[in-house]
Amino acid sequence: MLNTNIPTLHVDHLQKNFGKFQALKNITFDIYPGEVFGFIGPNGAGKSTTIRTILGILRASGGKATIFGKDVFKDAVDIHKRIAYVPGDVYLWPNLTGGEIIDLLLKLGHSHHTRRTSQLIELFQLDPTKKARTYSKGNRQKVALIAAFSTDADFYIFDEPTSGLDPLNEEVFQNEVLKLKEAGKSVLLSSHILSEVEKMCDRIGIIKNGEVVETGSLDEMRHLTRTVIKVKTQLPTPELETLPGVHNAVMGNNQTLTLSVDSEYLENTMSYLSQKQIISIQATPPTLEDLFMRYYGSTNEVDRREK
Amino acid sequence: MKSEKFQKTFFLTKFSFKRDWLKLSIWSVVLIGLFVGVAAKFNGLYGSKAAIDQIIKTLKSPAMVSLFGKMPNGPYTSADVFASEMTVFMAIIAAIMNYYFIIHNTRGEEESGILEMIQAHAVGRLSNLTAALLESFILNFGIGLIYAVGLQFANLTGTNANGNFLLGLGLGAVGFMFASIAAVIAQLTDNSRTATILSYLVFGIMYIGRMITDVSHPKYTWFIPMGWVEKLSTYKNNNWIPVFMMLGLSVILVTLAFYLNSHRDIGSGLIATRPGRAKASAFLRGPISLFWRLNRVSIIVWFLGIMILGATYGSVFNTIGDILKTNPMLKQLLNTKAINAANVLIIKEFIAILMIVFAALALIPGLSLINYLKTGETKGYLEIIHSTRTSRTKLYFSLFGIATITSIAVLFAGIYGLYAGGNAVMNHHIAMSVFMRGFYGYLSPLLVMLGISAFLIGWLPKLTSLNYGYLVLAFFVQYFGKLLKLPDWTEKITPFGFIKHVPVSNFDVATFWWQIAIAVILVIIGYIGYRRRDLIIN
Ligand SMILES: Nc1ncnc2c1ncn2[C@@H]1O[C@H](COP(=O)(O)OP(=O)(O)OP(=O)(O)O)[C@@H](O)[C@H]1O
Ligand SMILES: [Mg+2]
Repeated sequence: MLNTNIPTLHVDHLQKNFGKFQALKNITFDIYPGEVFGFIGPNGAGKSTTIRTILGILRASGGKATIFGKDVFKDAVDIHKRIAYVPGDVYLWPNLTGGEIIDLLLKLGHSHHTRRTSQLIELFQLDPTKKARTYSKGNRQKVALIAAFSTDADFYIFDEPTSGLDPLNEEVFQNEVLKLKEAGKSVLLSSHILSEVEKMCDRIGIIKNGEVVETGSLDEMRHLTRTVIKVKTQLPTPELETLPGVHNAVMGNNQTLTLSVDSEYLENTMSYLSQKQIISIQATPPTLEDLFMRYYGSTNEVDRREK
Repeated sequence: MKSEKFQKTFFLTKFSFKRDWLKLSIWSVVLIGLFVGVAAKFNGLYGSKAAIDQIIKTLKSPAMVSLFGKMPNGPYTSADVFASEMTVFMAIIAAIMNYYFIIHNTRGEEESGILEMIQAHAVGRLSNLTAALLESFILNFGIGLIYAVGLQFANLTGTNANGNFLLGLGLGAVGFMFASIAAVIAQLTDNSRTATILSYLVFGIMYIGRMITDVSHPKYTWFIPMGWVEKLSTYKNNNWIPVFMMLGLSVILVTLAFYLNSHRDIGSGLIATRPGRAKASAFLRGPISLFWRLNRVSIIVWFLGIMILGATYGSVFNTIGDILKTNPMLKQLLNTKAINAANVLIIKEFIAILMIVFAALALIPGLSLINYLKTGETKGYLEIIHSTRTSRTKLYFSLFGIATITSIAVLFAGIYGLYAGGNAVMNHHIAMSVFMRGFYGYLSPLLVMLGISAFLIGWLPKLTSLNYGYLVLAFFVQYFGKLLKLPDWTEKITPFGFIKHVPVSNFDVATFWWQIAIAVILVIIGYIGYRRRDLIIN
């Protein structure tokens, strides 16, 4: 990671109210140059709202957000010179062609159609002569993605960019993001596709009910959650259920026991199990999916962890 | 087989009423209020023989015939005056209402993808179209019946129940006829914008057709469906044939729409969208060129359409401006020069009335362009633009600029059309400078109206359509104010009321400047609001 100390994006206790409804309660995170930051959370958690606020499309009700050290609302135009954005729902003017829209978006950013643009059109296999009216959802997203990738920006923001892409195009997308990362750019990627986030993101922020409840690298987060252990022992393990930090112990067929263990109690549990003469053992680190389910699931579970 | 195609039609109709109830109520209340309200005033306004004779003379002049239709033969009662003043006007409003609902509920639903979701259920192929038509049928005849009952209560001198129901249901029938026209056109194109433009094109052609035939050969008006409503001859002959003709045509058109609908795929039209260029032209490079590119077809259609309308009005100048036709005696009393002067004055008076028509028509594309700052925002089209280096300042002033230029250009087109059409038929030409007085005079109220929209965009974006309502009010007051003898203050509630009777009188510089000042202030205040508010998304 190319972590310098000056963040590209700095969000500090950001809040946003729509009338009485508090869509963002407390959003705090930073993104550094050369970093791909994954932004995940359940529907309606406030991902798009956060993105629109840092784009200066919405005006924050409280807190602070800066990009390149500048205020996201006051200096929006200045900031926008150096960013590229792909919205979650791409709406294109129905009577323009994809090619025209790509060029227009580039020109609005004072750049123009380059060899790279044509290359991207090729890579994503878009027919630029079709009117936007006739594009499928995936094709509309491609138009916005091609425009964004052929812009030479310092900060790229993607709001669920691959929700309509087929696996081939998704791979093209991932490759392009990796290139950006290698070039030292910052990327904010909001997504519901966990495998994608897991694969590409250096750090992850989990947002729920308008609050960022967790940020960190996947490794760091793993420490916060449970490891799944499959174990077969010679002797019975009657006390297992009552050990601190052990959950969901289930006896499967052929005497294999499956249980999940809070990271901080892993050592404790292992020493108990080793007294019972382990025949075979297999430990799976939590996937992002497990992590995710924990935060997405009922609020109680998060509360329990905090206790 | 048959019933399968119409499965769940009634369910969808009920659903449409639930979904549209607010819009339906507003339209109904406004239409009924207008019609019955005017009717209620009429005994007072045109009760006496003298008042009737006076207004009949006006209504019989070719200028008024071109606007309101041909008067039947006398003698006349208050009811006759009412019928001739209101029939064509109410038919026009009915067209606007039906076009809106039908295109929105058929092609619009299809475009937004809602229909696809509905059609995936056990719903017949034709159910949605039928539901939209049923809704409009009930709406039109519901309003028509209330008109009739309202007329019964208003009890104008010279009315009878037969005539009241004929007029009410006749207006219902003309409304439904426009609904079925829109239903056919909505099958032809694959998007609602084009459907709307084409529908208004058909309307415009019929309107011009009825105007020309009314002024020259009224019997040819029978060839124009929109003209049938004038042939009701309410309270005189009470002719029901036109009502059946309108219903008959509607049945044919609805059948055609059904046929077209079952022979095409969902989401497509018969006029297919062609592929376009792979790269943007050098011209398409910023907000102004984008908005031009998006709207150029409608702007050009509007510009040419209004010019043709102007030319058509102009082409009746020789009939209108011939005082000797209505009053041959004058030939003995006045010399040629004086007669010419009198003729020119009549024409100028006519132009003065037309000015409000052209100003209102010129504002429609202008207001719709400015409102794109809000509609484009809510529909999501502008989100990606807002994320580029294009500032809000630039967007705001680009749209305001292009809206203003469009409105001014369209106003000019109308006036130029009048000038060209008029001078093509008249022996004694009227100088362009006379027409230009009307043009200059109406610039400032135009800008005030655009300024109000800009202000709403900045501070009350949810209420942007209010300005259309204000425009309709202004139009109504200016157009009908004299005929309905509205009190003087009503004129002053809109910027148009401050404009002296141009081109009869001279262009008033003072009014021009204070109105421009108000417009500028509104635009600036709107800008301040727009710069600091949230953009609205969905
Ligand atoms: N303009 C608005 N007015 C009122 N409420 C809004 C507005 N925009 C968003 N919200 C609310 O704010 C909350 C956050 O919405 P947001 O679109 O940010 O969610 P999200 O995390 O992007 O969800 P998804 O994963 O479905 O895209 C939601 O409850 C939404 O209903
Ligand atoms: Mg979202």
